[in-house]
Amino acid sequence: MADRYNSSPVNDVTPLLEMRGISKSFPGVRALDDVSLTAIAGEVHFLLGQNGAGKSTLMRVLCGAHHPDAGEIVLDGAPVRLTSPADARRIGVAVIFQEFSLVPYLNLAQNIFLGREPRGILPGTVNHRKMHADARRLLDTLGVDLDTRTLAHELGVAQQQVVEIAKALSQDARILVMDEPTAALSDHEIDRLFARIRALTAEGVAIIYISHRLQEVAAIGDRVTVLRDGKNVATLNSSQATVNELVHLMVGRQVETIYRRKFCEQPGDVVLDVRALDADNGVQGASLTVRAGEVVGLAGVVGAGRSELARAIFGADRVVGGSVRVNGQPLGRGPVSAVRAGVGLVPESRKTEGLALMRSVEDNILVAGLRKIFPSGWYCARAAAHVAADIVSRLRIATPSTGRLTRFLSGGSQQKVVIGKWFAAGSRFFIFDEPTRGIDVGAKAEIYGVIEKLVADGAAVLMISSELPEMVAVCDRAYVVRDKRIVGELTRADLNEANILRLAMHHDA
Amino acid sequence: MRSVPGAAYLLAILVVVFAIFGSGFATMANVLNIGVQSSVLLLLALPMTLIIMTEGLDLSMGAVLSLAGVVLAWMLMHEHGLPIALAAAAGVGLAFGVANGGLVVGLGLPPFVATLGTLGIAQGLALVITGGQSVTGIGDALPALYESRPAGIPFSMAIAVAAFFVFRFTLSQTRFGSYVSALGGNREALVLAGVRANAYHVSVYALGGAMAGLAALLLTGRMSAGHPTAAIGMEFDAVAAVIVGGTSFERGKGSLGGTLIGVLTIGVLKNGLNVLAIPSSLQVASIGVLVIVALVIDSGLKK
Amino acid sequence: MKAIAYRLVAVALICAGLSLSTDVFLTSANLLNVLRQASLTFLIASGLTLTILTGGLDLSVGANVGLSACLAATVMTSTGSIALGVGAGLGFGVLVGVLNGLMITLLKVPPFIATYGMLWTLNGVTYWFMGGETIHGFSAGFRQLGSGYGLGVPVPIYVMAAFLVAGGIFTRYTTFGHEVYAIGANREAARLSGVPVRARLNLVYILSGAMAGLAAIVYLARLNSAEADIGEALTLPAIAAVLVGGTSLFGGAGSLSGTLVGALILTLVVNGMNLLAVDANWQPLVTGVIVILAVWIDVMTRQRAEARV
Repeated sequence: MADRYNSSPVNDVTPLLEMRGISKSFPGVRALDDVSLTAIAGEVHFLLGQNGAGKSTLMRVLCGAHHPDAGEIVLDGAPVRLTSPADARRIGVAVIFQEFSLVPYLNLAQNIFLGREPRGILPGTVNHRKMHADARRLLDTLGVDLDTRTLAHELGVAQQQVVEIAKALSQDARILVMDEPTAALSDHEIDRLFARIRALTAEGVAIIYISHRLQEVAAIGDRVTVLRDGKNVATLNSSQATVNELVHLMVGRQVETIYRRKFCEQPGDVVLDVRALDADNGVQGASLTVRAGEVVGLAGVVGAGRSELARAIFGADRVVGGSVRVNGQPLGRGPVSAVRAGVGLVPESRKTEGLALMRSVEDNILVAGLRKIFPSGWYCARAAAHVAADIVSRLRIATPSTGRLTRFLSGGSQQKVVIGKWFAAGSRFFIFDEPTRGIDVGAKAEIYGVIEKLVADGAAVLMISSELPEMVAVCDRAYVVRDKRIVGELTRADLNEANILRLAMHHDA
Repeated sequence: MRSVPGAAYLLAILVVVFAIFGSGFATMANVLNIGVQSSVLLLLALPMTLIIMTEGLDLSMGAVLSLAGVVLAWMLMHEHGLPIALAAAAGVGLAFGVANGGLVVGLGLPPFVATLGTLGIAQGLALVITGGQSVTGIGDALPALYESRPAGIPFSMAIAVAAFFVFRFTLSQTRFGSYVSALGGNREALVLAGVRANAYHVSVYALGGAMAGLAALLLTGRMSAGHPTAAIGMEFDAVAAVIVGGTSFERGKGSLGGTLIGVLTIGVLKNGLNVLAIPSSLQVASIGVLVIVALVIDSGLKK
Repeated sequence: MKAIAYRLVAVALICAGLSLSTDVFLTSANLLNVLRQASLTFLIASGLTLTILTGGLDLSVGANVGLSACLAATVMTSTGSIALGVGAGLGFGVLVGVLNGLMITLLKVPPFIATYGMLWTLNGVTYWFMGGETIHGFSAGFRQLGSGYGLGVPVPIYVMAAFLVAGGIFTRYTTFGHEVYAIGANREAARLSGVPVRARLNLVYILSGAMAGLAAIVYLARLNSAEADIGEALTLPAIAAVLVGGTSLFGGAGSLSGTLVGALILTLVVNGMNLLAVDANWQPLVTGVIVILAVWIDVMTRQRAEARV
C-alpha cells in the first residue's frame, strides 16, 4: 500500500524538479505541511485536491510568488532559491493561470515576446519581422494557424490559452504548470490541447496539471499527486489509479464532524421557487425549490456556476429567462426587489461585496434595512444604535463597540456583521455563498449555529459550500451544479461526500 | 486603426454640410487655414492619445503650453537665439511632464486631480511672470519661421505632420510603443514580464509635457507674442479629439490615426461654424456636445 | 471628528500667523469679509461634496454657477421679476444636474469625463449667451442677498449656515444620506444590499446642480453684475475646499462641515496673500499646490488604512 502511494521515477533518473518538505503557513491556517513533489522531464503530473487542500499555495511557492517557511526546491539535482517570479522564470518555470496575462490591444507576437522583443536597427525599435517569424514558428509547433498579427482581445479563451503556452515556450520553459486548463474549453479544443501537451512532453517538458476533472487523469496523466489538508497523501501512477480511489484519497476518512445538526423533519411552505432560470452570466434552465425550515445546499466544483446561480436568483446578475418566486410572488429585477421581498445574500467575497470595510459595524448592519426600519426616510441615530446593539448581542459579534470600523474585525465577526445586516433587514430567505471560508474552526461552529437557529425559526436557507463535510453536516438536501446547470438533487439519505463529488465531477467523455 | 470609420464618417458629414451651407468653406485657402489652425492641437493630441491609452489624463497641457509660450517669448525678447529659447520652453514643458508622471505614478494620485493641480501651478507661474500681460517684442526670427513654407506647406502644418509620423513610428515600431498599450491594457503582464513599468509610465507623461513645450514654437510664432492664457482650455480640445478619434479610457486601445481625424473634425467644426458666422463661444459648446455624442455612440456600440 | 479638529487647529494657526503679520487681519471688517467669501465658496462646494462622497465628481459646478447666474440676471432684468430670475437660475442649475446624472448612470460615462464635457459646453454657451455684454443694476432688495447684513453679519453667512444645517440633516439624518455614504464606501456592496444606486447617484448630481444654481443667485447678488466669466475661476477653489476639508476622492468619507472648514482655510490663505500684498497672480499656483497636497494626504491615508486590513 505504502509503495503504491509513493510512486517514484521508474529508472533512477534524476527528477527534473523536486520540491522537498515544503511547509507554508498563513495567519491561522497551515496551508502546506511538509509537502514533497517530484516532476520528471516529459511527464504529465496531475495535482489533485479539494479547494483549500493546498494546490495553489504549492504552485505559488514553485513560481516564486510565496516563500516557503521550510523546505527546498531542487532543479536538476541542485537546490535553487526563488525570491521572485522573475527567478522562477529564469530557471524555466512557467505558470498558466486561469486569468490570462495578455495585453488586449497588442498582437500575438507582441504578447508572446513582451519584455523580450528582438531589437531592431535603431535603438529602442523592435525587429518585427524576426518577432513575427519566431512567433509563427512557435505557433506552428503547437499546431495553431492563427495570424500573428491578430490582437489578443479578438481571441477566444482556447486560443488565448495557446498563446499563453507559446509565451511559456518562448521562455524555454522546462516545467509548465497549468491551472484548470480545460475549464473553459469545448471537447474538440480539449483534444487539441492534449495533442499539444503530448508534443510538449515529447520534448522533455514536465507538466504539472491541476484539474478537477478526474477522468482526464487516465486520458493524459502519467502520475498523480493528491493533496489533502495541506499534506501530500499519495503519489500514484495514473495507470493504477481509479476515479473512486482518487475520490477516496481526496476526501479521506469520514472526519469526526464538529457539528451535529438536528435536521428538518417537516419543511414548511415553499419559500423560493425557481423555474427554468436563464441569466446573462451563463446559468441555464435552473429549477429548484427551498422550503421554510430547510437548509438546501448547492454543491459543485469551483467554476461550476453555483455563485452565478445564487447571483441570478438574487438579481445581482441579469435574468434573461425563467422565473424566481419568493413566497409565491415573482421577483422584479435587481437586488432592490429581492431585498424588499425579504431575500438576503451573504456573498462569497465578504470584504469586497458584503461589507464597506471603512464604515462602522453599525453602519454596515443598518444599510440593507434602512427602508424597512425608517420608512419615512428620517434616520434616527438612537433607533439605529439600538438595532445594531441588539444584533451584535444576538449574534455575539466580537467588537468593543458598534462604532468600530469593520475592517478591524476578525473574519468570523465580519461574516456575522454581514448576516446581521440581513437580520436587521428582516430577511426570511438567506443565500449563503461559502459562509465559513477563511474563518477559524470555533467561529465556524457559531455560524452553523446561527444558520440552524434561522431555519428553526422558519426561515429558509440556500447554502453554497466547497467544503464537503460542512455541506453534509449542515444541509437537509442539496442540488449539484455542473457547467452552469443543475445536474442532480441529493436527498438527506444520499447526501454524502462521495456522491457529491461523483455528480459534481462526472464528465460525459 | 480599425475603429476609425466612425470618426471618419462624422468628419465627412461635417465637411459636406459646411461645404454646402458655408460659402468660402470649400476653398484651397480655407483648407490650408484649417490645417494651420489645427496644428497646435495635433501636437497636444498626439501625446494625449498615449496618456489616455494608459488610462490616464493630462489636464495641465493647456496651461503648460501657455507657460512655455511665455518663456519662449521672454527668451526671444531678451535677444537669445531661437534654438536656446525653444530648448528652454521644451525644458519647462518636460519638467511639468515629469512632475505629472511623478505625482500619478510615484505618489499614486488620480491623474485628473494631479494634473488639475499642476494646471493651477503652471497657470499661476505664467500669470506671475507676466503680470497678466503679453510678452511682445520677440523679434523677427520666429515670425519669419512661422510664415515660411517648406516645400510649399505652411510651417506649422509641416511640423504637425512630421510629429504625426514620428509618433506613428514610435507607437508601432518601438518597445516603448508596445508598453504604452500594455500600461493601460494589462499593467500586471508588463510587470510580470520584468519590464520597468513605472519608468515607462512616467515617460508617457513626460512626453506630453515636452510636446506642450515644443508646441509653444507654433503658438508664439502665430501670435508673435507670449500670453499667459493663450492656450487655456486647449487640453479639453485635445481630450475631445482623442475621444472622438476612438481611443478609449480602458484596456490600452488607441489610434493615432483616429486622433488625427478627431483633430481635423474639431478643426473643421470650428472653421465651419466660423464661416457660418456662428460665434466662437458656441463653438466651444459644440465641441462639448461633440464629445458627448461620441461617448453616446461609443457606449451604444459597447452594448 | 478628529479630522475636523486637526483642521480647526490649522485654521487657528493661520489666523494667529496672519494677525501677527498684519494689523488689518483681526478687524471685524476683514474677518466678516473672510467669512462671507468662505461662505460663497462653501455654497458651490457643498453640492460638489455630495458627488465626491459617492466616489464621483462634478467638475461642472463652476461653469454651472456661471451660466445659471447669467440666465438669472437676464431674466431678472428683462422681466423685472426677481422671482422669475431666481427660478430661472435655480431651474437651470437643476437641469444641468439632471443631465450630468443621466450621462453617468444611463450612459455609464465616467463622472469626471461627463462633467468635464459639461463644463466646457456650459462655458461656451455662457459666452455665446452673454455676447460679450455685462448685465448690471439689480434691485436693491435683491442685492441684500449678497451684500446685505443681518444683525451685523453678512447675509451670505446665513445662507451658508442654512446650507450647512440642511446638508448636515441630509447626510446624517436621512436614509438617503446614509445610502450615499454606503455607495461611496463600497458601491458593489451597497448595490448587493439593496441600495438603489442609480437613483441615489442621480439624486446627488441633481443636488449638486441645484446647489450650484442657488450659489449662482447669491453670487449674482454679491457681485451685482453678470458677465460670462463669472464661473471660470470657481471650480478649482471649490475642489480644493472639499479636498482640504477631508472628504476623500475615493468616496465614503467626509462631511459638509469639513468642506466648510476647508473653504475657510482656503479663504484665509487667499486673504493672507492679499493682506500681505502678494500678487494676486500667485493664487492659482497656491491653490494648485494645495490641491495636490490635499490629494496626496488622501491617498496616503487610504494606503495606510488598506495596509492594516
